[in-house]
Amino acid sequence: MSYVHFPVIAVMSLFLGAFVCAIFGKNHDKLCKAVGVLDAAWVFALIALIVKPVVFDGEIISYWMGNWSPIKGWAIGIGYEIDALGAFFALIVVFTVLMSVIYSIRYMDRDDDIYNYYTLLLMMSGSVLGLVLTGDVFNMFIMIEIMTFTAVGLTCFRNRSFGALEAGFKYLVIGSMGSSMTLLGIALLYAQCHTLNMAQLASILVNNTTPTSVLALALMFTGLGVKAYIVPFHMPAADSYAVAPTSVSMVFSGMVNKAGVYAIIRLVYILFNTMDKGSMQVLLTAFGAVTMFVGVTMALAQHDFKRLLAFHSISQIGYVITAIGLGSALGVTAGLFHALNHTLFKGLLFLCAGAVLYATGTTNLDKLGGLSKKMPKTTICFLVGAFSIAGMPPFNGFASKWMVYQAAFEKAVEGGHIYFAFITVVAVVVSVMTLASFIKVTQAVFFGQCPIELQKTEEVPFSMRLPMWIMSALCLLVGVFYDFVNKWFLAPATNAVLNATNYIDKMMGNGYAAAAGVENIQVAPAAFSFWNPLTWLVLFVVVFAAVAIVILTGKKSRGAVLETAENVDGKYATFFGGEASPFSHVSGSDLFWGFKKDWKGYFSFMDNLHSGIVNDYALWVVVALAIVTVWFNVFMK
Amino acid sequence: MEILQTLLQILIFPGLLFQVVIGLLLAGIDRKVVARMQHRVGPPILQPTYDFFKLMGKETIVPAAANKTVYLLAPVVGFVGLVILGLFVPVFGTNVFGTGADLIVILYLLTVPAVCLIVGGSASGSPYAGIGISREMVTMMSYEFPLVMVLLAVSKKVGGSALAFSMADITAWQQANGCGLFHWSLVPAALAMLLVIPAEVGTKPFDVAEAETEICEGPLVEYSGAPLGVFKLNTAVKMFIMTSLFTALFLGGIDTGIVALNAVILVAIDIVITLVSMTTLNAICARLKIEHLFKFYWTIVAALAAASLILVWLGL
Amino acid sequence: MMTVNYVASAILVVMGLYTIINDKNLIKVVLGLGIVDYGVNLFIVSVGYNMGGTAPIFSISDIMANSVLFGNGGAFFVDPVPQALTLTSIVIGACVDAMALSLVVKLYQQYKTTNTDEIRRLRG
Repeated sequence: MSYVHFPVIAVMSLFLGAFVCAIFGKNHDKLCKAVGVLDAAWVFALIALIVKPVVFDGEIISYWMGNWSPIKGWAIGIGYEIDALGAFFALIVVFTVLMSVIYSIRYMDRDDDIYNYYTLLLMMSGSVLGLVLTGDVFNMFIMIEIMTFTAVGLTCFRNRSFGALEAGFKYLVIGSMGSSMTLLGIALLYAQCHTLNMAQLASILVNNTTPTSVLALALMFTGLGVKAYIVPFHMPAADSYAVAPTSVSMVFSGMVNKAGVYAIIRLVYILFNTMDKGSMQVLLTAFGAVTMFVGVTMALAQHDFKRLLAFHSISQIGYVITAIGLGSALGVTAGLFHALNHTLFKGLLFLCAGAVLYATGTTNLDKLGGLSKKMPKTTICFLVGAFSIAGMPPFNGFASKWMVYQAAFEKAVEGGHIYFAFITVVAVVVSVMTLASFIKVTQAVFFGQCPIELQKTEEVPFSMRLPMWIMSALCLLVGVFYDFVNKWFLAPATNAVLNATNYIDKMMGNGYAAAAGVENIQVAPAAFSFWNPLTWLVLFVVVFAAVAIVILTGKKSRGAVLETAENVDGKYATFFGGEASPFSHVSGSDLFWGFKKDWKGYFSFMDNLHSGIVNDYALWVVVALAIVTVWFNVFMK
Repeated sequence: MEILQTLLQILIFPGLLFQVVIGLLLAGIDRKVVARMQHRVGPPILQPTYDFFKLMGKETIVPAAANKTVYLLAPVVGFVGLVILGLFVPVFGTNVFGTGADLIVILYLLTVPAVCLIVGGSASGSPYAGIGISREMVTMMSYEFPLVMVLLAVSKKVGGSALAFSMADITAWQQANGCGLFHWSLVPAALAMLLVIPAEVGTKPFDVAEAETEICEGPLVEYSGAPLGVFKLNTAVKMFIMTSLFTALFLGGIDTGIVALNAVILVAIDIVITLVSMTTLNAICARLKIEHLFKFYWTIVAALAAASLILVWLGL
Repeated sequence: MMTVNYVASAILVVMGLYTIINDKNLIKVVLGLGIVDYGVNLFIVSVGYNMGGTAPIFSISDIMANSVLFGNGGAFFVDPVPQALTLTSIVIGACVDAMALSLVVKLYQQYKTTNTDEIRRLRG
């Protein structure tokens, strides 16, 4: 069977798996788990098989449902179009689902009615996969709706836990508002262009900006921004990532907000082709910068492990939006690379948080401590994830954040606007604050002294550790071999983003795009060659060897290590502490008090904004919509 | 031959051995001059060297609450990071590794020793260390912001309308146009950098992370023996690297052609900068509290660096 | 076109948004969501309306003989695509309302109140 059919088969298999779980799964837990794992693995294989022709060879798969090809140059059917960008995101989606399903095998053991969980999870995966693969704008809307419902269901899956129902309700209200705005935008587009196919819309909209299409752009941008959790719309995300079961949180942060990002890229780059306008770049980078900053400063004040990770997720998506908003080839490459890396390291961090929750029963930073001795392997994986997100070499976060800074600063120099230099500075400062936040979590959860209640914790089972190991290994490999990733995955995807002609031509027939006036921009792979990790590794090894030789040579008494406390006799005990100390672990909230005190005004303002009342969150959505509409109307005439 | 020469450059000059020797020398001079300023006799100039060798011979005690691997590895990784960083800072014409993006590499690598101190302190399990690492982290957040702006200002000034992140470009530009310090739009940046250096190194008045009188040396409280020796060595080497970085950015361009003479001039300038930025403040000022430190860096020092960035951007 | 329809749909959307922002009762927030959906549905169905057109139910031979697309001018009917979109959207609206109301029921069971000012355990 030709690989052209694989994408649709993949989407259908996920939905079929969901239905099988729903019909046959009640009281048959093992069946559900088996269906979940097999389905995810099967879909991963399918998507991996289309990666070679689509991404490496640059082909575009165009598939009309029911064979309703365009008649006389007018699209009448629903089309699935997979180019390198879609395949790139599809690969991220199926990988995340596979890891999550493997993790869920043991993680969901303590819940009942697992068949509901697997149904919803598989449906959500199917809808996100459909979203990134489709070429029809209303089909995208349907997939967004399915994604929203199933996400709400999964958020309040453990409906007796603290705040789960509330988070689900707020997610539903805000998400539904976003979907309605998107639908209104789509209706306006249809009124203007009388077609729903993205390729044809792109060719019609290319040089015609009417007030209708500007309003449609504003509505769709806000609606899709709600899905991507950019800043004024991020409050439900923080709540729902925290209360959902962790395997689902990982899927949310790895897959669901990437869907929003993908939709925004399709909207501004392919559909409307407006990224060369300075006003659009300023708007996107402004949103991105505010998202980065608000996300990371809110994270510093959190008391709950998963809520902290949720705010960091929001902040990293801010990086992606900033990079995409720059409009240059290097910017888009950096944004896509950071999206990939974010899935890897954020998924890893959420899995570690889930492991801690499974082993200890709490995610409160003030109650945890000293777990590195009880759960050493989880600690290593967590440190890998923390160093990745903080941007330490040689992990992947370093490579992609460096690309973002370079892209932003190059944009500043090339245009002469100091605004983009300011964005670069904000990005660097946010990176340092991310590091600070993760040092706080490491100290609060893994290092330090272990409280009495947690003395009995054990390491998590193997099937939960396996996805963590895989993702840590990938973090390291992608960071070291980033050149390979750039050349084979990112360059084709960037080419697909900046180059709408291939997309249009493949769906509507060759020459259509040129006839409509869409230009062809050839994009060379971004040159990014100052960081050659293999040389660095060699350098590191050489210096390390020299230092080790110096330290280890010498008499036996140098470097002798003496363990204390359990086998220390009374003579030495007085040297290790004046009096018998009570449990004095510096917990998460005790750190950074100086920083929080300096910024008291800002933090109290932010606390009042995140009030927890759903009406306030809705007000933010409407205000943002108003601002975006006014901006577009003023600048896009 | 190339490999052997590079190896010699990494390990002897201007690599490991040179950095260690000069770093310890700068640390010693700093202590002696502070003592003299405070009307004391002070330790001999070679005291840090004696301390290092003494500590290497002492017994290492690992607390029971500590994570042993991280605890023992942290100082060594920090030291290796510092040595690699030092290979990117040129010694008046001897540039071991020059890439196109030196400044970004330096900015990143400067965080590695601080993070290793933090992780090592955290891994030791002591509550004093916990407080110390949070202060160290806030200090790092404070000085990164003006430091980024200083580096951006220098790179824009040197590069003009393109980017100049590479040290070789900066050195060449200074050879052609005179030292950076002589261009008045870079003077606020130089002042800001002089104020960032003591915070990076951790001397008074910005050493709240290692406040001996309050939290018993903060992250280093449980360290003893060889790991403690390596941490103290890190501080000394960092002194050398930061002063050399300042020289390369603002006083570069001097090249007499003889490697030995270049090295001597560099050491002399480093001593002067140490005295100006670290020793004077160390002797006169009291320790700042953490919120004052944060406010200081994000208002005054950041204003200086931003002034320089704006002036450079306007083309002056 | 039908200006009245567009004005009515705009009024519905604005009223719905106002309800969501202002009303403190959970059920009223859900009603607001519903009203926004109805406004959008009214808009979609009005987009497709051609003045004087008939219902779009033809056999294929009528179309091929008489349609504008095939160059013969002729049968003038209302655009069927927005009707399909509206049907889909109505179904989605119904599902959203059902899910939201079931969440409201369980929220009331847990929190014993339907006032949004008091359902605020997750904040900050």
